[in-house]
Order: sequence, then C-alpha cells, then structure tokens
Amino acid sequence: MSSPYLSAQKIVKRFPGVIANNQVDFTVNRGEIHALLGENGAGKSTLMQILYGMYQMDSGKISIEGKQRHIHTSKDAIKAGIGMVHQEFMLVRRFSVVENIVLGMDSDGITGNLTRARERIRDLSKTHGLHVDPDQVIEHLPVGAQQRVEILKLLFREAQLLILDEPTAVLTPQETAALFQVLRHLAEQGHAIVIVTHKLHEIMSVSDRVTIMRDGCVVSALETRNSSENQLAKLMVGRDVSLRVTRSVRPRGKPILKISDLHVTDDRNQKAVTGIDITLHAGEVLGLAGVDGNGQSELAQALLNLRAIQSGQVKMADVDLTHRSPAEHHRNRLAYVPADRRHVGALMGLSIARNVILGSHGKYASQFGLLDEKKINRFAKELVRRFDVRPSDVDYMAGKLSGGNLQKILLGREIMRDPLAYVIEQPTRGLDVGAVEAVWREILSERDAGKAILLISAELEEILNLSDRIAVIYEGRIMGIVEAGDASIEKIGLMMAGVLPDSEAPEIRR
Amino acid sequence: MELDFFSGAFFASWLAASVRLAGPLLLVALGELYSERSGVLNIGIEGTMLLGAIASYLVAWQSGSTWFGLMGGILIGCIAGTYLSWMYITVQASQVVVGIIFNIFALGVASYVYRLALRGVSGPQTVEMFKPIAIPFLSEIPFIGPVLFNHTILLYATAGLVAVAGYVLFRTKFGLNLRAVGENPAAAETAGIRVSHMRYMCVIISGAAAGASGAYLVLAQIGQFRDTIVAGQGFIALAIVIFGRWSPYKAALAALIFGAADALQLSIQLFQIDLPPQLFLSLPYVLTILAMSGLVGKANQPEALMVPYRKE
Repeated sequence: MSSPYLSAQKIVKRFPGVIANNQVDFTVNRGEIHALLGENGAGKSTLMQILYGMYQMDSGKISIEGKQRHIHTSKDAIKAGIGMVHQEFMLVRRFSVVENIVLGMDSDGITGNLTRARERIRDLSKTHGLHVDPDQVIEHLPVGAQQRVEILKLLFREAQLLILDEPTAVLTPQETAALFQVLRHLAEQGHAIVIVTHKLHEIMSVSDRVTIMRDGCVVSALETRNSSENQLAKLMVGRDVSLRVTRSVRPRGKPILKISDLHVTDDRNQKAVTGIDITLHAGEVLGLAGVDGNGQSELAQALLNLRAIQSGQVKMADVDLTHRSPAEHHRNRLAYVPADRRHVGALMGLSIARNVILGSHGKYASQFGLLDEKKINRFAKELVRRFDVRPSDVDYMAGKLSGGNLQKILLGREIMRDPLAYVIEQPTRGLDVGAVEAVWREILSERDAGKAILLISAELEEILNLSDRIAVIYEGRIMGIVEAGDASIEKIGLMMAGVLPDSEAPEIRR
Repeated sequence: MELDFFSGAFFASWLAASVRLAGPLLLVALGELYSERSGVLNIGIEGTMLLGAIASYLVAWQSGSTWFGLMGGILIGCIAGTYLSWMYITVQASQVVVGIIFNIFALGVASYVYRLALRGVSGPQTVEMFKPIAIPFLSEIPFIGPVLFNHTILLYATAGLVAVAGYVLFRTKFGLNLRAVGENPAAAETAGIRVSHMRYMCVIISGAAAGASGAYLVLAQIGQFRDTIVAGQGFIALAIVIFGRWSPYKAALAALIFGAADALQLSIQLFQIDLPPQLFLSLPYVLTILAMSGLVGKANQPEALMVPYRKE
C-alpha cells in the first residue's frame, strides 16, 4: 500500500485528571473513507480537534504525505489541507452561503469581491452533487443544506482531508444515504475522509477502514470488510454486548395523557408545534421519532408547562394541566426526564442526595422547613442501590458523575415517585453502551408495570427497539402514527423527511 | 429676544447647532460600532471620552497646538482601549461591570489630574480651538450652506469616517471577518480568524474614537476642560448604536436626532416658553433610556454581543 496521506504518531493529550489521548497512532489514506469509532469520552473528538488545531497535543508527531507538520491553529490545519465539519455547524446564521464559505480566507484582496467565489461554488456544487444556492441566507436553509454548505466550505479551501464529526446525527436515513454518496464520490476523486461516529451500521455501509478507540487508546485499526458489527461493538466497549431488548406484546391500557391540538412557539417566536394530537395509553411506549429540531423539545417542554402553550390542551387522566405549574404536573403523576441532563435535569453543584429529592423536598423537611438529613440519606442510598449508580456515595457531587450514572439518577428519581405517565427526552444521548442497556431496561420495566411512556428520541434504533407505537414529527406536526409491527426504517425515514406514507391512510387523529 | 420660533433664521441656526453637537456623538458611536459588531459592548467609552478630553486639554495647553492635543486624546484612548480589551477579552470579566467601574475610575482620575494641573495657575486656561472652515461655494448656498458646510475639520473628518465604516464593515473581507466574530465566534475561529485579535483591535478602535471624541469636545466646542464635559455623551453613543441598528449610516442619522434634541434645549431657553428648561435638558437622556430598555428593537444586534469567547 502507498504511504498514508496523514499519519499521526504517538499523540498524547492530557486534561486535568485524565489522559484523553494516550500514545494514539492514526493513519488515513487518500481515496478512503475512514471511520473513527468509539464511545463518548473515548478520545476520538480530542484526536480530531488536535488534527484541526483546536487543541495542542502534549507530545506526538503529525505528518502529511510523509512531511512533518506543526498544527497550532485552525488556520495551520486549513493550510495543511485539513478540513472539519463539526457536529454543531460552524456557520454564521445571518450570512449568505457564499459569505460563509469565503469567511477567513486571505485570497481575493481586501475588497472581497464575491462574484468569482459564487462561480466557483456553483462549479463545486455541480461537480460533487452538493446542491445549494450561493446567495441564500443560512438561517433559511434546512439542516441538510447547511451540511452541504459546510462540505463546500472545505472543498473551496481545497481541503484534501475531510473530517466529519457525527455527520448523520441531524439527518433522515434518506439524507444520510445521499451524504454517503457524496462522500464516496469525494473519496474516489482522491480525498481522504474521516467520519467520527458511534453508529455501527453506518460504518459497515460506508467505510473502507475503521479505527476503534477506547479510554484514550487505539484498540484496533482494521479493514471494514474483514470485520462485523458484533466485532466492532465488542472492540468499542471492551466486552460482549447485546443491544437487543426483548419486548413482550401486551394490550394497550386505558388512555392516560391526552394532548389535543397543541400549538407552541420556539425561542425565536416561530411556530414550533402546530396542532399536535396524541393520546398516550397505560402500558405502552409511544416513540416520537424525528430529526432534531422539528419541535420535539418544544413539545416536551410545553407538556410540562416549562414553555408557554399558545393554544390546545394537555390532560392527565381527565385533569386539565394545560396552564398549571410543573409542580401540579408532578402531583398529577406526570414525570419528565429532560434531554439536557446537566442543565435542566440536575443541579450540578449539589450532591446526589440533594438531587434525588428535588421536586419532592417538601416530603423531607420538618414542619419548620428544616431538611431531615437522615431521611434524605436513607432515600438516596436506596435509589443509588436500586439503580446501581456509581459511585454509591450519596454525598458525591452530581456534576462529577458520568452521563450514564447521572441519567440513572434522573430516571430513578422519577420512577421512585411512582408516576402514571412519563415524558422522556433523548434518554441515551451520549451514554455508553452499558448505560444504554440499563436505561432501556428501566423504561421497558416501567412500561410492563402499566405506565404510559412518551419516548422522544432522535435515535431511530432506540425508537424501533422500545416503542409499541411510533409517531413521527416533522416541522411541528405529526406525520402519522404507526404500530411497531408495521414500522420499517425506510417508512419512518420518509415520514421524518415530511413524506406521508402513501400505501395506507395515516392514523393521525385518535 | 424677539425671534420667531418658526423663522427660517432660527431653523437654520438650530440645524447648524444640531450638526455641530452631533459630531462628537457620532465619532464615539462609530468607534463603538466596530466594538459591538465584533461582539464586545464597550461601556467604557464614557470614561475614555473624559480621559481623552483631559489629555487633549493638557497637551494642547502645554504645547499650544490643537493637533498635538487631538493626538494626545487619541493616544490616551488607545491606551484605555487596550486596558479595557484586556479585561473584556483576556480576563473575560463582565463587560458591563468593567465598563461601569472604568467610567467611575476615569472620572476620578480626570478631575484629580485637572486640579493638579491648575495648581499655581490663576483660573481655568482656555486652549486654542479648531476653527470652522467654510467650504468655498458650498457654504454660500442659502440655508444649506451654513447648516452643513461651515464646520471644523473634525466634523468633516467624522462624516468621512461614516463612509469609511460603511465600506470597511460591509464591503471588505476584514469587515466580513469582523462581523462573523460578533455573530458566531466559534465559526469564525474554525474558519481561521483569530477571534481575540479581532476583538482587541475593535475595542482599541472604539477607545481611539472615544479619546478623539473627548478631544473634539475640548478642541472644537468649548476650549476648556470641565469634570462634566462629557456628561453621559458616551452613554448616548451606546443608544445611537442601537437606534442606528448597528449601521454607520443610520447611526449618523440617529446622532443628528440626538444632536437636534440637545440643540433644541439650548435654543429653547432663548424663548419665553412656559416649560422648565430641565425638561428639554433631559430629552437626549430619555431617548437613551428608551433605546437601552429594548423598546426600540434589536433587529440587527450581533448575536454574540456581550458573550465572551473562550478558545477550547
């Protein structure tokens, strides 16, 4: 094999208390799509940020086409031919496509004549199938188009190595397929491409080689065609995993949570939820699938009245909760597990014990308002034991917990309150495989105990694994509700893109 | 005085005074525009103006040169701007708190230095001022001539700087990069722009403009220094930036309106109008409060205004 395009050798990066990259070797060739696989905190983002000049490595060596390069800033990286599409797009919302693309470039003198740039963008987008109008303003573009702008930005700078961090997180399955086609085409033209991901099936379908990281080290680098999903999963986690949950079929109970004709606006006062009707029954998981940003979080917040409801109704077992306080929602046994665990779900500066009584602290206080420490500790210890939180020290600060353990606490806190219905938002985002298993198990056991669960998730796999029924949200509307047995990735994917399933009439209002 | 309130003569002199008074306001507002477009709210311009005023007064007095005075004001403005940008950008202290404290500090320093300088001198000294330059032909146009074309070099320069700012901010690469830093610093940084350099530069520009504006007050309007010479004009400039929707041309218009309000309260005292003069005196400040309270709308406000950026 010819020498690699980029080779990183013995990269070491320490952060206070952790070694994020420990003697990492990484190579990528021209013409290949290389997947970088690892769980959250395995060090893959750190490695990529070092290559892109956003972090400085403590020791190690980076060479490009055999020559050692020193990369201290993003500018150095761009000069060396490295480009990166970050998970959160790095675009200026109020600038046009062409302005975003030429941003920060030295060429073309000070006047910044954009005519030539426009032409080159048109050429590039034609050659690579990246359709976008150079004069559109970013904030008016859908997410998929914004991603195309990001890729064009790299091509415009003549990047030879394209790094994409979790590029499919915000795409529908169909958009993902289109993206992969573009990447394949770019690789064929001699670019080197790295995708950072934790989705095994994507790696199998698109990559040529895969490097697996765990705990800051590279555990393996192999040809994709010589591996399997199971093998990759095992290498990533370090032990055997089976992400298959068994879900018994059980009849749907009586209606618990009724949402009718709900209208909600987002932070910019734009319509986010436009007329949603959902009825949640006892003993079911209703999965709400959809690409991030289609009104899911606004819906969840509105259900708890954490966001003002414009019109419509939220009823919990015949009690109207529409404009009632979140405390009343709790009292009427509706529980909420928010997507943002660290800012909404918990108080990071307080101990586990304090966090587990949040919302029911009245129960742990004497009549003079003093907290009953003994009672709190007893309860916290019970919760920590039951949900296997580590460390089990209830005085441990919540902010220092791993994502998985923090999620166990948030979920456990609600479960111990014995609600009738749950709104659970992105329960496994950023969790490692072991924690995902634990969270899924808890959700299903609550369902089996007859609770009604609204599961909002952008991970289609999670939705398909846990749900009895699947509702698909697109631009604030429910495209349809499908029984789990009738659901397929293709069908749900189309609905996520706003296409109504044509074969049968959607079961929208019930 | 037997002047008719609606006479052409009154109107022309009022407008001329409006333009004259708008000059320093516009100059400091233009500097602030760079700073805010890059994402930094520099409230310290009020104090910087005062430091610019005292510096220009002392230099002009000692050297006898108005031009040296102006340069003194700009230099002290740059120094103040450097200190403030260090606090805002490197230390990442709260922009509002740093700005306010700096203004209080500047007030103390300026009046102390002024008193020190006046020891052993009998009474306040007047310095040489910039003279109005009547532009040939144009200044002879009736009505418009005296209103627009009979001002000091400082006013003409400020008007020129409006066009410069419009060109730099919206027609150059540098301006594009600058605005990107104020909208989305993380995106700017990944595009290869050095966010903190850019912000340092912009805050120092705003400091220089504020220093020059303070000098303007001394060298083209009163020829003396007083503790109250600035009297909130830096804060008014903050309002002008908001009213001007972060655009230099609209800021010029807004500055004229504030200048007109100020000129009106001066002229109105000449007439026997049965209203307390304090009412008119407060007019620019009332407008400022309206602007700051968000009633005006923040349509073009840079998204990252007042948001510190820390490179990972």
